[in-house]
Amino acid sequence: MSALDRTRRPPPGLERPFGFPHFERGRTTAGLEMIAFAQHRVPLVSLHYGHCGGSQFDLPGKRGLASFTAALVDKGTASRSATQLADEVEGRGGFLGAGCSWDGCSVGITVLSEHLEFAVAVLAEVINEAAFDQGEIERSRALRLAELERQDDDPSAMAARRFARAIYGERVYGSPQLGVASDIEQLSRSDVAGFWERHRQLDGSFLVAAGDFDPAILAAHLDRGLGGLGGHSAPPLPALDPSPLEGIRVHIVDRPGAAQCELRIGHLGVPRAHPDRPRLVLLNSLLGGKFTSRINLNLRERHGYTYGARSQFVDRRGAGPFVVSAAVDSRFVGAATREVLYELQRIREEAPSVAELEETRSYLLGSLPTTIQTLQSIAGRLELLLLYDLADDYYTRLPELFRQVTPTQILEAARLHLDPDRLAVVAVGPADELASQLHDLGALEVHEPENRPTAVLY
Amino acid sequence: MQPRRHRLDNGLQVVLQADHTLPLVALSIWYHVGSKDEQPGRTGLAHLFEHMLFQGSENVGANDHFGHLQRAGGVANGSTWFDRTNYYETVPAHELELALWLESDRMGFLLPALTAEKLENQRSVVINERRQRVDNQPYGRASERLHELLYPADHPYHWPVIGYVDDIAAASLDEVEDFFHAHYAPNNAVLTLVGDFDEERALRMVDDYFGPLEPTARPSRSWPAPPYTAPVRRFEVLEDRVRLPRLYAGFSVPAYGTSEWYAASVLASILGGGRASRLYRDLVYQRQIAQSASCYVLPTELCGTFGMVISGRPDTHVDELRIAIDESLAEVVAHGVTEAERTRALNTMLTVHWNDLQALEDRADALSMATTYFDRPERALVEPEHYRAVTLEDLRACADRYGSASAHATVAVVPGEAPS
Repeated sequence: MSALDRTRRPPPGLERPFGFPHFERGRTTAGLEMIAFAQHRVPLVSLHYGHCGGSQFDLPGKRGLASFTAALVDKGTASRSATQLADEVEGRGGFLGAGCSWDGCSVGITVLSEHLEFAVAVLAEVINEAAFDQGEIERSRALRLAELERQDDDPSAMAARRFARAIYGERVYGSPQLGVASDIEQLSRSDVAGFWERHRQLDGSFLVAAGDFDPAILAAHLDRGLGGLGGHSAPPLPALDPSPLEGIRVHIVDRPGAAQCELRIGHLGVPRAHPDRPRLVLLNSLLGGKFTSRINLNLRERHGYTYGARSQFVDRRGAGPFVVSAAVDSRFVGAATREVLYELQRIREEAPSVAELEETRSYLLGSLPTTIQTLQSIAGRLELLLLYDLADDYYTRLPELFRQVTPTQILEAARLHLDPDRLAVVAVGPADELASQLHDLGALEVHEPENRPTAVLY
Repeated sequence: MQPRRHRLDNGLQVVLQADHTLPLVALSIWYHVGSKDEQPGRTGLAHLFEHMLFQGSENVGANDHFGHLQRAGGVANGSTWFDRTNYYETVPAHELELALWLESDRMGFLLPALTAEKLENQRSVVINERRQRVDNQPYGRASERLHELLYPADHPYHWPVIGYVDDIAAASLDEVEDFFHAHYAPNNAVLTLVGDFDEERALRMVDDYFGPLEPTARPSRSWPAPPYTAPVRRFEVLEDRVRLPRLYAGFSVPAYGTSEWYAASVLASILGGGRASRLYRDLVYQRQIAQSASCYVLPTELCGTFGMVISGRPDTHVDELRIAIDESLAEVVAHGVTEAERTRALNTMLTVHWNDLQALEDRADALSMATTYFDRPERALVEPEHYRAVTLEDLRACADRYGSASAHATVAVVPGEAPS
């Protein structure tokens, strides 16, 4: 390569094949559905137990129950207190934690692989014998109530809450996953223990093991540790989807003197299992998902209104939102909103060029391997297979689904699933400054930070 | 898998580590320049400059750096820190040459593409970045205020990496050009490749693209000598639009890489790492006056900063938290820590060490860091040994020598009016 030509992009070399790594799917002797992925690059093991008991099952009057249960499940068992559990896990350098999404709950433990047997025992104990001790419940309640207060001061949390409310109203997705103070104050031990017990015993519980282990040894530990699960059927899902908005609704959450405006624009999206999902993934990436998306190049690189703007179809079992998010210079919130609406309209009017779609496709396909480099990221994807009951070859077939999408299908999907005339605009910042820029878009409400409407302007 | 290292004739240090697990290559470039190379009144230049490196170069169009990489299936970014600026991309293995072309073009041929218009655009982007991360964040000003109190005004860790708005607004095109000439050259950089490549072939490609670039005459610099903190306790209360009070406390410790730095880091884990740590157990779990408690030590070159962040409950008075911090350090000085606590910290660090070596880009970053600071890439792979060498007496001595209450700077954020 003596005559190096810097004026041109160098040609690619020979592409090497990539496939999703091999894993084993089966059941433990006790009947628990599981996936094992053995890899020996680093001496770590990650175990994740999950079930579908996510915030989707929060009930009126008990908003936040699922996430509160997840916060408590690893705080002590019948034989180990919360303190003992923390000392024994962290003493070995391990990490134990539980969390929940709208669709499911997960308890995970990561340890050095020499502690595999210990990790199985601890995980089994947490799942089967969580204590839900009253003292721990009160501790977690106080922490949760203070965290909710903290979020009342956090502009991006304020925007997210108000946006969910605007799209979903009284439906379950309209409330914060962490709940509301008045409900959290009332949750009892039997609420929490009952919620856990109900979901733990269901078909649909599962285990993912990833890392440096011998499958036969793991199976032997599991047989001793994780028995007695399974057998019931899942409860029906609550009604999740509201009806679409009429027109554009502008919600301003007043934050006088704020240095910037947190902006959210969007409407109802589609359920994760929607057949249009592959084309929506491409559509979104092109529109606002990647750095070189239309929305980011417009708002950031052309206008300098923001550090970054992105869009997302949020994946949930029910219809999650489609949302555009950005923190923008308050002086330009009206202009930035109009640019977003313009991009939503533009993509509905004309199919993207083959080149633009190809760029997006090659980005998504090419970057797939970068998203499965760690045990945790592989385990996370394997958990999704089990949580959503996807086929073993789901990740293997995904590239082909992306390859089939045409520019016309992007246009059709945009016309079907994006609607710049019926959406919510949420802006958190100085109300006076924002209202004067947004009032002619549609009906406008100004809310105090506590989320109660106090005035209707214009 | 030991990393291999080379030095090109123009001074560029090259580190290679083959890993064929996935058909990917991670490229990391560290330039040994950061906000500490700025001057008071001209802050934020290193970070603003980082943004300009994504605006194209002689042979790469304005939005084409990301454009080329994303079309190829690559992911990329950059970041600025007190001591260094890094740029990185992970690309499919067959696009390694693309990454080398892009990085060498902006290392060698940036200025022909630099325009006033691009600078104005990125100035707005960066000011919005600062507002998003600092000025419009609850507690956002506290950690930069801690550094302002901890280090004197002419010390390079006094000002925040992102800089002050007035300075960012004032940065001129000439200054940006001067910054490039002074710092962006092969003899001030480390290039690391980790992933699925043939080492000999990769090294030839690196030499083809970077070998012809000219080294620069680096400006001579002198840094303030330790100790950095006067033996004066500094305390300041900031009002902010928050409902929970929060305390940010810190003291200066020796530089990253010294045995004292590793001791400080183990001590931070014992005091504020996880639910078994002392401050969490005392303040969050038992007395329930705090929402969270965590400690960290910044891995910085001139000296390290030991930081403690304690969030109170809505009705906690910050003085309770201040006293608790002082007492926790005094307790270590008086009675030391236990072997069980030391073991817990070391085991935690071992798990984190392995965890952080998994992703190719994280490993490339660690190799670049060890080469930039210590001229020894392999050091990145043996960090746990440095932690293991820390004794119980080292931990007590660390609290005694550096953590004495007289050398703290503390910022308390309390409910009140938003800062203007």
